[in-house]
Amino acid sequence: MDIIQENCGYCGTCVCVCPENVIELEENGLIIKDRCTECGNCAIVCPLGALNPEG
Amino acid sequence: MKKLKYDVIVVGGRIGGSTASLFASKSDVDVLMIEKRQEIGSPVQCAEGVTYGAFETLEIEPSERYVRTRVKGAHIHAPDGRRISYEGGIAQGLIIDRKIFDKELAIESAKAGTDIMLKTSVKDLIIKDHKVCGVVAKHLGKTIEIHSDVVIGADGVESNMARYAGIEAYRDPKNIASCAQYELVGIDVDPEYLEFYFGSKIAPKGYLWIFPKGDGVANVGLGIRGTVDNAIDYLNRYVSKLDATPVELNIGGVPVSGPIEKTYTDGFLVVGDAAGQVDPITGGGIHTTISCARIAGEVAAESVKMEDSSAQFLKNYESKWRQDIGKTLDNSVKYRKMADKLNDKDMNALAEFIETQDIEAISKISVLKFVGKHPNLMKILTEIL
Ligand SMILES: Cc1cc2nc3c(=O)[nH]c(=O)nc-3n(C[C@H](O)[C@H](O)[C@H](O)COP(=O)(O)OP(=O)(O)OC[C@H]3O[C@@H](n4cnc5c(N)ncnc54)[C@H](O)[C@@H]3O)c2cc1C
Ligand code: SF4
Ligand code: SF4
Repeated sequence: MDIIQENCGYCGTCVCVCPENVIELEENGLIIKDRCTECGNCAIVCPLGALNPEG
Repeated sequence: MKKLKYDVIVVGGRIGGSTASLFASKSDVDVLMIEKRQEIGSPVQCAEGVTYGAFETLEIEPSERYVRTRVKGAHIHAPDGRRISYEGGIAQGLIIDRKIFDKELAIESAKAGTDIMLKTSVKDLIIKDHKVCGVVAKHLGKTIEIHSDVVIGADGVESNMARYAGIEAYRDPKNIASCAQYELVGIDVDPEYLEFYFGSKIAPKGYLWIFPKGDGVANVGLGIRGTVDNAIDYLNRYVSKLDATPVELNIGGVPVSGPIEKTYTDGFLVVGDAAGQVDPITGGGIHTTISCARIAGEVAAESVKMEDSSAQFLKNYESKWRQDIGKTLDNSVKYRKMADKLNDKDMNALAEFIETQDIEAISKISVLKFVGKHPNLMKILTEIL
């Protein structure tokens, strides 16, 4: 999953839908750890389109 | 200098965290509240509508420092433009400045004795013999371990605490309303009414709201589910038709699945958005979070005094909050599932029916006659009943 950092509003909505629990909202940005399975859940709920499944 | 051992640690410093820590501190135990952001209440992720009941639970008088308007009702707009007015009940309440309110609540908690750490992020829970007994936190690059008898997770939808404690908190994206909102200036609305707009074009599987803040200022936002376009795209489309200018953009997610299955374990409780304690129909979570967080704070304090923070004891929290609002939330989940099945035509028909009835005195016969003419509504009703 690709993060478009400049679009992210740090709301944390994506965190609760990640089945692998690999998203972390840090002080300086959003981090997705490497166990991401590309399920696409996080991109569905992001209000700002900051997550890009094509990545 | 903060201590490295407390009776109760609360993770998250907004509505849930401040309420839980306030009532734990009032019960005379040592409480630490940890907030990862440097400012309490910021950024706002809320339309800022709250019931009077929430203040009763807090035992606090609403203050003019944060009350913007008092609303007495709501206008509900069907997809075809038909408008229904509703007064009193859940449509009655206050529009507040959450930024100020959240901080005032933290101040109340601090006055009651709560220690607060800011810009401190909890990275993990300390678990010994299957019992949560503290947190691992990071503050300005330094990692610290702080021990406690009970940890309360009040960390919102971005919640990791429940998962660290071994509680299932994963949510299906179908059950998360993706929300975007502008605070707009120069908008012509009735300051005593909330406005709700429904329809697949405006806000699929959700609604658009306008909450007046007085003086031509209002929160205009929407929540949607299961769409290709993002919430912000829907909002921008709607707002582009208004001659108003934004002074703030807020985004967030609302869990509309109803509460998670289990909200306690050994040495740990979870409250608020993190526990799904939000009304799935309205998306309102302030009053429910406050009710549950008060109970969590009190039960946690009691467990400290009884020297028993086992799951067995902390289960009291879950039984008490379920007794309080469990039934309401369960019903609301049922109605939400029903509402999910309504298409624009059904909503228009429903609005037309309600418009022609005296709401207080709708008869069974008139309802039966009405659904008889609308096969989809009949099907939904039969499935539910
Ligand atoms: C757009 C929108 C509009 C809404 N409108 C309304 C409304 O009008 N009325 C209403 O009643 N409800 C509304 N709600 C719901 C309501 O805002 C929430 O239910 C309520 O704020 C939940 O409070 P909380 O304390 O549980 O969580 P949050 O308010 O999310 O607070 C969680 C806190 O925990 C902190 N935190 C998270 N992780 C950590 C960590 N690891 N370490 C330290 N701190 C951490 C966060 O920084 C945050 O401050 C709305 C929600 C949204 C998204
Ligand atoms: S694509 Fe799925 S697994 Fe990957 S970060 Fe998003 S939600 Fe998690
Ligand atoms: S949902 Fe989108 S905006 Fe919110 S934190 Fe995740 S990536 Fe950022």
